Amino acid sequence: MTPDLQLSLPARAENIALVRHAFGALGDALALDEQLLTDIRLAITEACSNVVVHAYAGREPGPLEVDATVRDGMLSVIVRDEGPGIMPHPGSPGLGLGLPLIASLAESVELGRDELDRTEVRMAFALSGAGTDHRHT
Amino acid sequence: MTDELHDSPARVRLPPQPVIGPVTLHVASGPLIAPVLSRVVSMILARADCPVDRLDEALILCDALAAHVPPHSRDGHISFRIDARAGTIELRVAELGHGGASGLIADAELPDVGNVIEHFSSSRRIEPAADGTGEELVLDLRFGSASPADGRGSA
Repeated sequence: MTPDLQLSLPARAENIALVRHAFGALGDALALDEQLLTDIRLAITEACSNVVVHAYAGREPGPLEVDATVRDGMLSVIVRDEGPGIMPHPGSPGLGLGLPLIASLAESVELGRDELDRTEVRMAFALSGAGTDHRHT
Repeated sequence: MTDELHDSPARVRLPPQPVIGPVTLHVASGPLIAPVLSRVVSMILARADCPVDRLDEALILCDALAAHVPPHSRDGHISFRIDARAGTIELRVAELGHGGASGLIADAELPDVGNVIEHFSSSRRIEPAADGTGEELVLDLRFGSASPADGRGSA
């Protein structure tokens, strides 16, 4: 399924704010509740931060890709990278709360790899009161 | 009220960090284009130290693209590739059908105003899509030492 919105950019810390802004615009277009949009943006920020910090550690940053699809009252978001995958990072500067935080904010979270062996974090959010299909025919 | 932190002579103001690298947006043709494109372009320009008046013009250009591009979409989606360089950004509108780029420019003609795309972009060119299935409109928006109006009208 082709996403309604796909962002592709280098996985650098400076670029995370751009993803947040893009999802702010998506939230405006969908007339999302402010609290829900805050939760969505926080979860996406966490997922993108994980990519920036861990996916390309020790080498030149690779791509960060974020997909958003609205169907049947749900917003599905996929944050994707070409790193080695999600694994424990004992030496990480963070508190290790990123994935639990995402899990607490989203209806569902799945971690895995796609058909091109890229790492994916898949999140789904219920758009109560704003669940419209935004494809334009 | 005294604010010691903000009154401190040691306070350091960090410059905004520019967005690094080309940003590609792939958007369903329709109402998502305008808000997303405008937000992304405005942030990239703001971080590139683009003057406010030129930023305002760029947003008008984005609105014109968003308003007129859907009929020229090749498959229901439009791609925008935004690449900031010193004093300029390149905005590439891709996934247009054959004739879509020139059609998009033609559609941006406003009575008594003129052509918004031609007026607010510094230069324009049309390139065939890499896969040969359509074409791309490439717009340069200059905001550096050269006046933004310098390139107007060139194609």
